[in-house]
Amino acid sequence: MYDPTVARLTYRALLGRRRALILGALPLLLIVIAAVVRGLAGADDQTAADLLGGLGLATMVPIIGVIAGTGAIGPEIDDGSVVYLLSKPLKRPTIIFTKLIVAIAVTMVFSALPTLIAGLILNGNGQQVAVAYTVAALVASIAYAALFLLLGTVSRHAVVFGLVYALVWEALFGSLVPGARTLSVQQWSLAVAHKVSGDQTLITSDVGLTTATVLLVAVTVGATWYAGQKLRSLTLAGEE
Amino acid sequence: MTTLQLDHVSRWFGNVVAVNDITMTVGPGVTGLLGPNGAGKSTLLNMMGGFLAPSTGTVTLDGKAVWRNEEIYRQIGVVPEREAMYDFLTGREFVVANAELHGLGPKAAARALATVEMEYAQDRKISTYSKGMRQRVKMASALVHDPSLLLLDEPFNGMDPRQRMQLMELLRRMGDEGRTVLFSSHILEEVEQLARHIEVIVAGRHAASGDFRRIRRLMTDRPHRYLVRSSDDRALAAALIADPSTSGIEVDHTEGALRVQAVDFARFTTLLPRVARDHGIRLLTVSPSDESLESVFSYLVAA
Amino acid sequence: MAVEQPMRTSAAPQGDQTRIHDIGYRGYDGPRLGRSYARLSLYSQSLRGAYGLGRSLKSKVLPMLLFAVMCVPAAIMVAVAVATKAKDLPVDYTRYAIIMQAVISLYVASQAPQSVSRDLRFKTVPLYFSRPIRAADYVQAKFAALASALLVLTAAPLLVLYIGALLAKMDFTDQTKGFGQGLVSVVLLSLLFAGIGLVIASVTPRRGFGIAAVIAVLTISYGAVSTVQAIADAQGSTHTVPWFGLFSPVTLVDGVQSAFLGATSAFPGGAAAGPSHAQGAVYVLVVLGLVAACYGLLIRRYRKVGL
Repeated sequence: MYDPTVARLTYRALLGRRRALILGALPLLLIVIAAVVRGLAGADDQTAADLLGGLGLATMVPIIGVIAGTGAIGPEIDDGSVVYLLSKPLKRPTIIFTKLIVAIAVTMVFSALPTLIAGLILNGNGQQVAVAYTVAALVASIAYAALFLLLGTVSRHAVVFGLVYALVWEALFGSLVPGARTLSVQQWSLAVAHKVSGDQTLITSDVGLTTATVLLVAVTVGATWYAGQKLRSLTLAGEE
Repeated sequence: MTTLQLDHVSRWFGNVVAVNDITMTVGPGVTGLLGPNGAGKSTLLNMMGGFLAPSTGTVTLDGKAVWRNEEIYRQIGVVPEREAMYDFLTGREFVVANAELHGLGPKAAARALATVEMEYAQDRKISTYSKGMRQRVKMASALVHDPSLLLLDEPFNGMDPRQRMQLMELLRRMGDEGRTVLFSSHILEEVEQLARHIEVIVAGRHAASGDFRRIRRLMTDRPHRYLVRSSDDRALAAALIADPSTSGIEVDHTEGALRVQAVDFARFTTLLPRVARDHGIRLLTVSPSDESLESVFSYLVAA
Repeated sequence: MAVEQPMRTSAAPQGDQTRIHDIGYRGYDGPRLGRSYARLSLYSQSLRGAYGLGRSLKSKVLPMLLFAVMCVPAAIMVAVAVATKAKDLPVDYTRYAIIMQAVISLYVASQAPQSVSRDLRFKTVPLYFSRPIRAADYVQAKFAALASALLVLTAAPLLVLYIGALLAKMDFTDQTKGFGQGLVSVVLLSLLFAGIGLVIASVTPRRGFGIAAVIAVLTISYGAVSTVQAIADAQGSTHTVPWFGLFSPVTLVDGVQSAFLGATSAFPGGAAAGPSHAQGAVYVLVVLGLVAACYGLLIRRYRKVGL
């Protein structure tokens, strides 16, 4: 199910110099802001929860997920170099699964790790806040990577759609329309964070833990399977 | 012995029919897919390579379907037209990656690189390569698993004359080894020099297939043209025009020859030596002036 | 058969049958309008293109839609004010753009790449520079065009508010002063957003990346800054709030207008968090500096474009 060559190619394509800079900019911003806020306000659990939740989980993690998930396959399909993967006796779901692993790994490193660092800077893991949000980021990374890998496989404008989802749906509608919250990866991962945190009132979610877990798994598995099927029928139409 | 079989294959994109009911068999040796731009060559090659599904009809390799069948790629090597490759890799890393994806090792990659004579540049990044070098690395990646069917989409694009000769030599060798090599082109000289067998596609339709000289013979609605030099042009002209197998004779002073249009090829070929002997005229040059692929092609395209 | 050859040819005649026939081809001897005309044409073409005029139907949809979305709330406010015979508009002229910043950001994100990415992707930029136009002209034309387009987008609702206010017989001097302040503020906003949008969009030939990058930068900077400001305010360090406002385009404009143009600050902490005159001067400097920096970056970018 996993092919090391595909993984190597994806990993090197994903962390090419320019994309690595972009991927690194956002976590760096989070850490800088965490340091600033700590300097301003001292260690405060509520502030930490707000910052990690608002800037970290709601904004940074989805955007990293978009960049890593779409970047794992989108550019290759766009310029046609995916033909070198497709013209091999390699099962298409294997290709997708391998790219997914790489995308998840990259997303985790660039989102969960900075979340942990920022959390530790903010309040030194008081009330397990830092760890809780890190776990949430880890869980969200998996779902986002799968979702955006699928988006990158099916759509040429995956980056735009992904960003609209991340910035508009998750951040905006999620806070305005209550029903939308059940369909938000962010809320599902918040449910997991809620379980991990010490103080149950700091981190809340509109979705119960069981529902959240089921939905997370369902979305991840479903998106990966569908992307694999789509890749089997991928059409290379010649010149653009 | 690998045979690629297309059976009533059509492909349309919305209202545009790109490939229109093509049936052909591609066997061992070098076959040229010829056609003007926009004729559907790329679409056809993509269908043969399993990158596009035919709207109707089937494409099979030795009886096995090509679409949605990853195992078939053990036998197919594809050289795509697009230039995009993994630019951040070196030539060697790229071919090695391709080899590994086939389950082979670096030795196969080294062999392939030696075949295309790219060893001298194999440790430079592909982004620094010229167009011809990229084509050769693409060839290496297609040859690394020793496929029995090679599909090349406009392989001579952007190659300089020396590289083109090398590639032709390579393809000829592949064909002689018994592999099935199919390449597409719209440059007639390349196809003429390389392909024994051609398939002509015009506006999505299969216009002709076979040896181009024999195709020419089949085109009976156009008179064959010959250039004839002899010891007495006028007398020969007078004698030839008397026979119904010729439809026109032109005395060309600048060339110092006769331009003969013959409507009945078979009859004319026996007529000419007989007439010359009967009138005591010595024939110096007899050459067909429109048996080139170019004229065949222009007749087919104009039809 | 006439041999079609241009008059200026150096083909040597090969025999006495060879002739060159004059079929009336002439070069253009008329006036050539020069660099400034070319620059003006590029400006007007880019400006019209930013609203989809002169392009396909599909490309008109988003700009026109955003334009409508910008103006409709203004029209509604005016209608309400007229109906209820209010003495003042519900929203300040200077506040309107801040409220509608999402729409403005979306507009910049979609039109900046449309303006410059296509030329980069299809490599037509060298065609521009092989004409009298210089890199500076190209940049000036594009920058001015996008800024003008943004000005139209942001000033039109202000105009609607102004006319409506006059129709509702509100105080003339008051309203005119507010309108004037609002106009100055949106001019600054247009220049700043256009500069930032173009710099980001000119980095990549891919339009999708450009759109995503512009939205990301504008939204994230605003989100980060306002989050930090809220935290600072909640923690009682309201005096630091203005300093944080320097780090995002929208808050920069907000700061300038609340320092000098009589607006109430939209920073968390309300009027107390607004910048003082001294801080306001820093804001103005930063805004102008950013605009100049964007211009400089664009010039540098287009010096390096080749075949």
